Amino acid sequence: MTNPATKPHRGTIHLEEAAILTHQAYPGDQYVLRVQAPACAAKALPGSFAHLQCDPLLAMRRPLSIMRVDPQQGWVEFLYKAVGEGTRLLARRQPGETLSLLGPIGVPFQVHPERPRPLLLGGGVGIPPMVFLADSLRADTAWQPFVVMGSEVPFPFQARPSQFLVPGLPEGVIAAMPLLEDWGIPSRLASLQGYPGVFEGYVTDLARAWLQGLTDAERTEVEVFSCGPHPMLEAVAHLAREFDLPCQVSLEEFMACAVGGCAGCTVEIQTPDGPAMKRVCVDGPVFDAQQVFR
Amino acid sequence: MASTDQNHKLRIDFCGMKFNSPLVLLSGCVGFGEEYTRVAGFSNRDVGAVCLKGTTGSARLGNPAHRVYETPMGMLNAIGLQNPGVDRVVDGILPTLDFDETRFIANVSGSTIEEYIAVTRRFDDSPIDAIEINISCPNVKEGGVAFGNDPDMSARVVAACRAVTRKPLITKLSPNQTDIAENARRCIEAGTDGFAVINTLMGMAVDIETRTPVIGNNQGGLSGPAIKPVALLKVHQVHQVCKAHGIPIIGQGGVTTAEDALEFLIAGASAVGVGTALFYDPLVCPKINQGILAYLHRHGLDQVGQLTGSLSLNQSPVRHTPACGG
Repeated sequence: MTNPATKPHRGTIHLEEAAILTHQAYPGDQYVLRVQAPACAAKALPGSFAHLQCDPLLAMRRPLSIMRVDPQQGWVEFLYKAVGEGTRLLARRQPGETLSLLGPIGVPFQVHPERPRPLLLGGGVGIPPMVFLADSLRADTAWQPFVVMGSEVPFPFQARPSQFLVPGLPEGVIAAMPLLEDWGIPSRLASLQGYPGVFEGYVTDLARAWLQGLTDAERTEVEVFSCGPHPMLEAVAHLAREFDLPCQVSLEEFMACAVGGCAGCTVEIQTPDGPAMKRVCVDGPVFDAQQVFR
Repeated sequence: MASTDQNHKLRIDFCGMKFNSPLVLLSGCVGFGEEYTRVAGFSNRDVGAVCLKGTTGSARLGNPAHRVYETPMGMLNAIGLQNPGVDRVVDGILPTLDFDETRFIANVSGSTIEEYIAVTRRFDDSPIDAIEINISCPNVKEGGVAFGNDPDMSARVVAACRAVTRKPLITKLSPNQTDIAENARRCIEAGTDGFAVINTLMGMAVDIETRTPVIGNNQGGLSGPAIKPVALLKVHQVHQVCKAHGIPIIGQGGVTTAEDALEFLIAGASAVGVGTALFYDPLVCPKINQGILAYLHRHGLDQVGQLTGSLSLNQSPVRHTPACGG
């Protein structure tokens, strides 16, 4: 007989018929989708994703990273951009309909108490896991996170001037994410599009300014967490190396099974034993940045 | 398996192995047998056998990204036989599998006949229930389909593996060849005990913005419902060769529903492979089992095996046009 103690992975991912609670459209083909999926909501952690049936017409699911959960009320929320056939079909789905959700999946971000200043860098559709991570840190005042979000399409929220003074930042960079403001977490926005109050440049440029504004002692308390487009993550990894900071990145790749069965979503990781192929779905999606980017 | 008193109707004998269900989880879709058990409600007991990931003599990293891509009613994949090598599989993975749950079938691949022999020999000295010879992988430069599309080479690989194992030997045939029936005939002569029909069809997808193939390996293997009609015809053709020899077939290619599985059984399969359908619905197998049972009940059949090869071909399928035209 199977000894459950030797197979702790069994039954950790749940298949649920998730009712769509709300489905909000934002400029730039962006959508915030909230579904009722209590089993997923109960176990999801920052960095977790779910694999969704976007439409019965498609043969494959689509992986979406989780932005927020409410374990008590049992909902799970996603932010996604309609970029291909799957997400375009998903965008047509209406509240009251159900969609099949497989989750939560993946190795989450790991924060470390000896580094109480997490620097969260989210770009585009990489914003959701950063929101989730910030959400998990707000209950404990020992954490002093700073969040930078970047987007080249209008942000999927109405930015507002921050109530928090953050040393080291260029003058006039005051736009913040309201949700994070309400949670008491300082944040700033970056874009090349010239939005008011938003830093004109890359996420990593603003992050560098923030890091340079810290004392040497404060900098040793920073750990970097990031999700976003591949070139941005590469720049984040280089920034972390420049300041000798540990850095975790969440990756994405085309995915078929999302439970470790098909090896379709692998990325090459550098290990002490040489290169290895790791599955983004269950070995990740969170990886040590220095193992991914040289 | 969900307990009903009808489940005995699903039992089959496949190359001397007892399967609880005619369903077989296909190689390359379910890792090394444990990955899908992550999904609550999934059980290897719902299927007759699980085919493990393709295994070679030494470890392989496989192909670069992208490895998978959705296409109409299917997907392309080019994994490239990523695996830790046969020693790690036999010493590290097989001891973790629960052989009470189902039958486990190794999938053997290689770049040379010598590699096929070495891997088969290693599995022969292991608890594995059977060995599937993969002479049809379309995603590696050497071996694989290069062997499987040549009946002479196919027969040589099968004979070489036959010589080093007494475990049931199942040959996985490629659809990317001119005469699959002739290939099957040669593999039977060479000593195969069964067949898996079919592997993926070779295909390509193009990114029109970058003007490059989407798949890192440039080409990949097409699977999913899109290939089901091709697979059904190949199963029918191979069954015509097999039936006189009592050689069973795992029919596979786009099986998603009980009706799909029934089509394969009727066309000549004894067992039915499920692969890509798991990616859409990880809990699809118990549904297929229940659908097969309902069909057996409706048709007054006692055993699923009664369906195998029960296809009645239409008589005179080619109609001659009347002399007066029209």
